Amino acid sequence: MPILEVKELRAYYVTEKYGRRYRVKAVDGVSFQVNKDEIYGIAGESGCGKSTLLKAVSGLIKPPLEVLEGEVIYNFGDAVLNILSLKDDKQRRQVRGVRISHIPQGSMSVLNPVRRIKKAFQDLIQAHLGSMERSRFEEMVKKHLDALGLDWSIMQAFPHQLSGGMRQRLTIALATILKPDIIFADEPTTALDVVVQRGVVQLIKKIKKEQQNTLIMVTHDLAIHANLCDRLAIMYAGKIVEEADVDVIFNQPQHPYTLMLLNSLPQLGDKSTRVSAPGAPPSLVHLPSGCRFHPRCPEATVRCREEIPELLELEKGHRVACLRKGGR
Amino acid sequence: MKTDLTNVQFEARRANRVGAEEASSKLLMVEDLTKVYIKGQGFAKSKIAAVNKVAFSLELDKPEIFTLAGESGSGKSTVAKLILGFETPTSGSIRYKGVEISKLKEEKEFMKEVQPVFQNPFETFNPLKKIHTYLYETEKNLAKAAQGQLVEESLALVGLSLAEIKDKYPSEMSGGQLQRTSIARALITSPSLLITDEPVSMIDASLRMSIINLFKRLKEEQGVSIIYITHDLATAYYVSDRIAIMLRGEIVEMGSVEKVLDDPLHPYTQLLKASIPVPNPADRWESEIALSDLETKEYTRIGCKFSGRCPQVKAVCRECEPENHQVGESYVKCHLYR
Repeated sequence: MPILEVKELRAYYVTEKYGRRYRVKAVDGVSFQVNKDEIYGIAGESGCGKSTLLKAVSGLIKPPLEVLEGEVIYNFGDAVLNILSLKDDKQRRQVRGVRISHIPQGSMSVLNPVRRIKKAFQDLIQAHLGSMERSRFEEMVKKHLDALGLDWSIMQAFPHQLSGGMRQRLTIALATILKPDIIFADEPTTALDVVVQRGVVQLIKKIKKEQQNTLIMVTHDLAIHANLCDRLAIMYAGKIVEEADVDVIFNQPQHPYTLMLLNSLPQLGDKSTRVSAPGAPPSLVHLPSGCRFHPRCPEATVRCREEIPELLELEKGHRVACLRKGGR
Repeated sequence: MKTDLTNVQFEARRANRVGAEEASSKLLMVEDLTKVYIKGQGFAKSKIAAVNKVAFSLELDKPEIFTLAGESGSGKSTVAKLILGFETPTSGSIRYKGVEISKLKEEKEFMKEVQPVFQNPFETFNPLKKIHTYLYETEKNLAKAAQGQLVEESLALVGLSLAEIKDKYPSEMSGGQLQRTSIARALITSPSLLITDEPVSMIDASLRMSIINLFKRLKEEQGVSIIYITHDLATAYYVSDRIAIMLRGEIVEMGSVEKVLDDPLHPYTQLLKASIPVPNPADRWESEIALSDLETKEYTRIGCKFSGRCPQVKAVCRECEPENHQVGESYVKCHLYR
């Protein structure tokens, strides 16, 4: 049984403006499974709903975000848990941090700017493990930092004294100190320099190897996915349009959107002309009819305008949502 | 028609200042450019050279795309600010067509010819102001005679029409469209130099190439030279002719983009190249790399700024600053090539 199973998840942002209700369909019928010890990637452009998907799956549901339907089932081996059925945020909070952990995007907004780094670690550990002796706490943190190649001296620093890369590495250390079963990483390398980005990927790999946890990685950067992931899902306008092993996505992409994304990637040593697709991603409030990609799709037919394609298995482990690729 | 206009402008200006003009065949010549920022006060005062003895030039009659690449904190944006006159250099000179820009009497003339494109199109435009007013305002300020004609022409150049942007607020447009409008605004005055600071880093991946291809077209068809400032070496390789790699305020390697990125000489460029993720699952990073110290430590380092994490470091690197050495057609600031 997979460690995480998401079934037909629908999570909308519901807002009201001048008495009219707007529904931003950020996650609109998403199903996928993640196996244990796997690195599962979710790729897509900004505004395709990938961050909202992470929030809904990890149970971080606060208004205006609403989960309309769907199930999110975790199977930790010793416990099976449907996180959406936990009504109390207190109960959810006990799961998050220990079982599920979240590496957020902006490392500056995670750490409190007026408190030392050490405090953040103290808070986290106290909230989940209760108060403990100082020597035990220090030993535990030191051991973790050593394993990640970080120095104990930075615990005394304030966030502004550290570089962006160091702060990001610290948030990763903070998110993984309790050895969670699943780590959700939301754009952990965005806004970092290339060299630091490589360092962060290096660190994530190291943790994964040491703690044997499952990682769900969300980023728009396909090159990072190529470097890290085992399986990859491509999202477009609130839906998964293609999902397969990372080699298959890069070598035999089937969905026209995946193809287009890959074709627009420039590469070192290649000066041949690259083109990007016409148009822009749709607004999640007013979605196009039928297949959501059809206004930009070079292969669109009349049928694509009317019917919504389902995400169907084309080959084993390769799911595609396209009417022209064997879809219904 | 547009190119003719540019040529006429060229000729008129050339006649105006014959002496200085003929002395230099450069569109832009940057020499020994240094900008020192002072941090803190009293005893805690420290100096940071954000730009340190930077020198490069662009030819007048050969339009090209010149990339300034580097990590954050390498001083590449400061160079742009200095050229645009937003900051005054501590020392060194920036000459535009042979004239020192700080001594330019007609600032408007300079603004007509050198135009910026900024990083975040959502911050470039006031959210409460309609987009097209920016275009008309620029035209009114810098090319009064045209009466709206130039707005339509420059929008056509970036693949937009006036009908598409008329009466729209920035929030109603996509990042790609906004960035194109921002470029259209810069093109109204038929500039000969565009300074673009990270123009695609805020744009969606699927729309990024349309902006990059636009730069290529502007260079080829309109004869506009472009300084492209970026941290993204893959797009830099795709679009530019020459590249300069910056590290902590200094240019460490400069040359044609194929030379520098296919076969990097400086150990820092080698590290940068190795850090670009390749979109190919068969080609993953295996080896581990050393990460940098605190930024300020590297700024104030005596000798080579990269000596703290250079895999080929020698004793001399820690003691004295390397000079620029010419290797083939490239320039490298490294002791290895003495």
